[in-house]
Amino acid sequence: MAVASVGGLGSENLLREGGLALQWRIGFDKWIGRLLPLLYVVALLPIADMIYWIAVHALPTLTWATLTDTSVTNTHSLAVPIVGTFYIMVVATVVAVLLGLFGGIATAEFLPESVAGYARTAANLLAGTPSVVIGYFGYFAFVLYFGWGLNLIAGAVTLAFFMLPYLFRTVDLAYTSVPRAIREAAYGQGARPTQYLLRVATPIAFPQVLNGVFLAMAIGVGETAPLFLTLQQGILIPTGLFQPASFLTGQIWENYTQPQGSGGLALAFQAAFILLIVVLGLNLVVRLISGRFRKRLEGLFQ
Amino acid sequence: MNGAPVLSVKELTVRSKDRTLLDRISIDFDSASLTAVIGPSGCGKTTFVRALNRMSEITPGLRVGGRVEYLGQNIYDPKVDPVLVRRRIGMVFQRPTVFPLSVFENAAFGLRLVHASEEETDRAVTDALQRAGLWEEVKGDLDRSALSLSGGQQQRLCIARALAVQPKVLLLDEPCSALDPGATQRVETTIERLKKEIVLILVTHNVGQAARVSDRVAFLHSGRLIEVGTTADILERPREALTEQFITGRFG
Repeated sequence: MAVASVGGLGSENLLREGGLALQWRIGFDKWIGRLLPLLYVVALLPIADMIYWIAVHALPTLTWATLTDTSVTNTHSLAVPIVGTFYIMVVATVVAVLLGLFGGIATAEFLPESVAGYARTAANLLAGTPSVVIGYFGYFAFVLYFGWGLNLIAGAVTLAFFMLPYLFRTVDLAYTSVPRAIREAAYGQGARPTQYLLRVATPIAFPQVLNGVFLAMAIGVGETAPLFLTLQQGILIPTGLFQPASFLTGQIWENYTQPQGSGGLALAFQAAFILLIVVLGLNLVVRLISGRFRKRLEGLFQ
Repeated sequence: MNGAPVLSVKELTVRSKDRTLLDRISIDFDSASLTAVIGPSGCGKTTFVRALNRMSEITPGLRVGGRVEYLGQNIYDPKVDPVLVRRRIGMVFQRPTVFPLSVFENAAFGLRLVHASEEETDRAVTDALQRAGLWEEVKGDLDRSALSLSGGQQQRLCIARALAVQPKVLLLDEPCSALDPGATQRVETTIERLKKEIVLILVTHNVGQAARVSDRVAFLHSGRLIEVGTTADILERPREALTEQFITGRFG
């Protein structure tokens, strides 16, 4: 009988010593285990650097007035763009959620599988479309064709189309991932499709849909190009949907190129800092929701 | 009852795109009886019970021919609403399928669908939980999440949910296949009590279970009903060679 190598097939030697191949294997595993966490740190470094860089430039001159002073004469305030961004996000989110919810549910529940496939491909295509192209679409469709002009509603609806594919896909996924057995049980008990949707599927899909809403908001709030092409930046807080409105990403773009000593650079970084906090906040909300609902639905997805 | 069967299946045929899943099955189900449908995997047992309350339509691509008469009414009549059929002919599945709701709301699900009054719902839920043999275990806290129950309790809750709308027929598709022996025994006790009240049609791959609980056995093979008779006759003195081979464990 041939002598089996240490650790190989038929070897009864259980000790860690002996055999060069075995030594090499153990050592390799150990180093891979140390190397991978290191790469994780490398991936985190740019993020840490970015946060540090923004904070260093933004914080020294950041005052309460920067966030709250809405007077036109104060050129070192972000209060107007903060409110503008908020209004834009509210309108864009409402439009995107309505379209995404109906589209996603229709795709998951009502469209025949072949048609649903086209809807999903279309959503993926939209998600991969550069935001500036979405901006041009909004410019031609809403600003020119519908004749809305360069204002809050045109910008917000264009932004909604940028957020739409993320919402559509989350809603579609949330409703299709309701366990088949649960779906059959509801229909087997005599639920009509709308009753199944409202009483069974929605409570199960809801946390995922809510996550999708907040993530789409986090993606939308940092977007610049769709708004640049469809919205005229104003210096006043808008009081109607058909008025100009300024927004934080626009402030970054405009102030970053201001001459030295004008304080423009600091203002750009402050706008970036606020956006960073908002995006971080939205992501924290997502984590909170996921954790809470996972407990409630525990044992459902086996 | 004037002796007419509650459910009468006539020449029932189910076809998928490329093959015949059920071939001209005819069988009657009388009130208060338990018929076990046995047969090897893939013989069409599940397809058969799913065709009895039009659940087969949930899976696209199946074509059903023949008649299934519920109290004399063909459920495949074009004028019949399949949703109303499923509300009268209940179904319990292989795995427990409780909804992420409270125990009470799970049992009340079918009643909520038809907008039953609160008192009616309360009464029907209590009654259904008692008939399903779950009442004693859950009566202390009907508001707890149904997902916190054990697998066997969940399955009895599914039976209660089906019973709450007072169906005359209950279809059980291998209700114990995901349960441990203790839970299986409690579900079987429930089934044995229920068979004195309504028509039960139990799909099982387990000949022992058929022997323990059923009055009558129907043996399916390759989509055909090979034979049907009292449990004792079929299991001890089968007429067909295929049946004998199956129950003695030579295939399946």
